[in-house]
Amino acid sequence: MGAHYCAICRQTTFDGKGHIFGKSHQSRLRVVLHKFIEKVKEARRTLKKPQVEKYDSTQHDQKFWCYCCELEVQRHVTDNNMTVLCGGLIEHMATAEHRKNTHKFWWDNKADPKLRDKVIITEEETERFKSEVSNALETFVEVEDNYIEQQAEFIRRQEKHRQDVLQSLLEHESEAELTNGPNGTNVSAEDPVRFQPEGSDQQQTSRFVDSMAGAPGPASGMNLTFIGFQDPSNRGNVHTGAVPPWLQDDDPLEGSSGGTAPPEIGPSLQDFLKQKEREKLKKLPPNRVGANFDHTSQTDANWLPSFGRVWNSGRRWQSRHQYRQEEDHDNRAKRKSDHSAEASKRVKKTRNYDIT
Amino acid sequence: MSLFLPKLTCKKDIDEVIKGVAEKVVVLRFGRDEDSVCLQLDEILSKSAHDLSNMASIYIVDVDKAPVYTRYFDISYIPSTVFFFNGQHMKVDYGSPDHTKFVGSFKTKQDFMDLIEVIYRGAMRGKMIVQSPIDPRNITKYDLLYHGI
Repeated sequence: MGAHYCAICRQTTFDGKGHIFGKSHQSRLRVVLHKFIEKVKEARRTLKKPQVEKYDSTQHDQKFWCYCCELEVQRHVTDNNMTVLCGGLIEHMATAEHRKNTHKFWWDNKADPKLRDKVIITEEETERFKSEVSNALETFVEVEDNYIEQQAEFIRRQEKHRQDVLQSLLEHESEAELTNGPNGTNVSAEDPVRFQPEGSDQQQTSRFVDSMAGAPGPASGMNLTFIGFQDPSNRGNVHTGAVPPWLQDDDPLEGSSGGTAPPEIGPSLQDFLKQKEREKLKKLPPNRVGANFDHTSQTDANWLPSFGRVWNSGRRWQSRHQYRQEEDHDNRAKRKSDHSAEASKRVKKTRNYDIT
Repeated sequence: MSLFLPKLTCKKDIDEVIKGVAEKVVVLRFGRDEDSVCLQLDEILSKSAHDLSNMASIYIVDVDKAPVYTRYFDISYIPSTVFFFNGQHMKVDYGSPDHTKFVGSFKTKQDFMDLIEVIYRGAMRGKMIVQSPIDPRNITKYDLLYHGI
């Protein structure tokens, strides 16, 4: 008896051999074996028909844990270009060491002996497997080569098509120029005419290259609408780094208004200040003195403010009224005294004694 | 006379001030610049003008320059101070016989400021006559003479 670490239960036991016959160990063992045998079954399926695939780094570098040998083994065989699925597993199972370990494992853990053979792969099986594998590899390589050939063919066809279109346009241009040439009378005009096709040629070729690059291919160009060549010669476009239209001043507007300032939106400064004043006024109490007094009304020269006099009772405008009367009277009295030699009459004024 | 208070020299100017100043008390001091009591009053007015600038506008009027108003407001003693709000004349009961104007000078700046505040508050509430907050002992005593009896 001593401390014994059981790898399957992942526990240390002091029972020694007794632990192996216990319920928990056996159930765990069964689970473990089940999982392990699943993997091996999958590998056996490929024994007869090995699958070769293009190397996929996410999946084909997997390892698996062999319980019998207690080590990690590569699952698939790969040379970074193609992989044989489950090749590694089969190879490992075929080794003699693995067989020894499997027997030991079965004996130690008292597992079901019927399952034992499933985990081992015999030598004949491996031989068969290897031959199949070589065949499969060859076919795989062939298939790959075919595919590459097809792609190359496709690309070549596309290039040819482009060249053809270019040629046809060139011929068309030169024809047009030739017809214009004989119509023009000047011989010296031929030189600029000759230069022109070259220049337009360049333009045309550049345009065509652009359009060709834009169109994904002859097949898909059929369902797109062609809206014409965008001539960027005088303004420039986004590729040449020109100023975008929304940052430019609008030419037509400037031309028509003739240099006046752009129309201002919103109220002018005066209106705005007045609006602020009005808002302040709204906050004042509405029953204050003179709330409805019109400060901007135009009055004549002899306007007098509302003034309540000392000795008056009654309304305030009466004091103004009275004042005007007195003034009038005084003036008339003065004029009369000027005219007549007599002394001016004493003016009698009646006033109340109440204080308003 | 104060170098800092605006002066009004003709009826038209006074009219414009009374009609033009909105939502603030208009203080018109009637008097002569050389008179000693007027000088005292002017000093108080100018010192407090800035503090009261949101509530009141203060102006100086020479009684000889605008005889119309001198007669209309019945100014017999100088200095006399008349108060307006929004074109309306404000009367104040000082405890003296004449409520239509303030005769004489103020004892302290604070008196004047209190008076202005009371007038302003009363005007905002719609009162055309208010009660003066100044101690009656600090107000100049004078006799109101009636001309013509």
